[in-house]
Amino acid sequence: MTLADRIESFRLTLEEWLRGLYHGMITHPAYEKIEKEAEDEEDAFILACFPDAFGIPSPVSYYTAELLPYLEDEFEAWERRLWDRDSYVERKGQQYHF
Amino acid sequence: MTVEPFVFFGGKGGVGKTTVSCAYAVQSARDGHRTLVVSTDPAHSVTDVFDQRFDDDATPVEGVENLEAMQIDPDEEVTRHLDEIRQDLSEQVSAAMVNEVNRQLEMAHDTPGAYESALFDRFIEVMRSADPYDRVVFDTSPTGSTLRLLGLPDLLEGWIDRLMYKRRTSIDLFEKAAIGNNEPRRVMDGDPVLARLQERKEFFEFAGSTLREEAAFFLVLNPDELSLNETERAIESMHESGLSVRGLVANRLTPSPDDDENGRGARYLRERVATENERLRRVREEFETPLVAEIETKTSEIKGDLLVEVAEALDVGTAVAGDHVT
Repeated sequence: MTLADRIESFRLTLEEWLRGLYHGMITHPAYEKIEKEAEDEEDAFILACFPDAFGIPSPVSYYTAELLPYLEDEFEAWERRLWDRDSYVERKGQQYHF
Repeated sequence: MTVEPFVFFGGKGGVGKTTVSCAYAVQSARDGHRTLVVSTDPAHSVTDVFDQRFDDDATPVEGVENLEAMQIDPDEEVTRHLDEIRQDLSEQVSAAMVNEVNRQLEMAHDTPGAYESALFDRFIEVMRSADPYDRVVFDTSPTGSTLRLLGLPDLLEGWIDRLMYKRRTSIDLFEKAAIGNNEPRRVMDGDPVLARLQERKEFFEFAGSTLREEAAFFLVLNPDELSLNETERAIESMHESGLSVRGLVANRLTPSPDDDENGRGARYLRERVATENERLRRVREEFETPLVAEIETKTSEIKGDLLVEVAEALDVGTAVAGDHVT
């Protein structure tokens, strides 16, 4: 292996690592944060649609029930997130992966 | 006096809404307007008044030209709504989730409001397809909340607006969170949830504007304290929802005895008439809404000729205002 090759391979590895680090430390957390926010918004939407699930009567639940067949994924994810969620701080701090 | 194409009669249970609605419908039909009377009261309905069975398809009333009647069963409407969603559900949702979603679905249809929402939906549907008629007369259900619900379209529309806003925000974020070639978890284009919400929003918009501009409301009352107080409250709450009550119909007034009669019965009647007149005076003087008709109590069920008699006592015009359904 020539010196040039070794430099080349070192450069490639370094580049890969840097890209990985950049992705892991900057890009991914940023998008993860957006996705989390999207999930939170979606949870708020589902809650506004079906407050009866918590015993809060709503004048529109009769109408929002029409949406149920199209909210399968959302509904399942919502239930899962409800079970998993600890505190607000825990949810908002998840991105730091302590 | 011209009256809007859609006429609602409301009031507590037992005051004679169905009788008055049918009488008005008969009068309207006799004046040459193609009329539909819609009844929702399972206890006393158009079926009893016209001695003819009706269901939720408009059927001509025998013996009265220009008149059709329709009987809506709110329970059936709720079940129908539930079944329609179930149908969608079985087409869209995986078997594992059906149970979960079903529970939610049944909950929504057991709420106290479901009955009213179903009626409201049906009313608006009838109004939407009212083209063949000059006038539609609604006999609202005795729960009274139907009339209140008619004041709600604005609130419901606002609610739907907020839901749409929330849904859009979350989809927008999901789209932004999809990096590179990743498929976003939700896509704004062709989102079935947004499409359905939009449909509902238009429905409420139609309901709100039609009820404000093309509908007239009348309240039926009996000459007793309770009924008067109820009516006062109803006028107030309808006023708050931006609907104005066009007139009051006093039903079940005691007939006065002849002057030369002086027996116990006659004295009783005279006393009753005096108290009732006192109450009617209060209605005329204190209520903002005019008393448009006074109908004496009848000894038998009001049907046939008696209905025509009642119709003639109704001093409510039948000329159709506006040209929406002409």
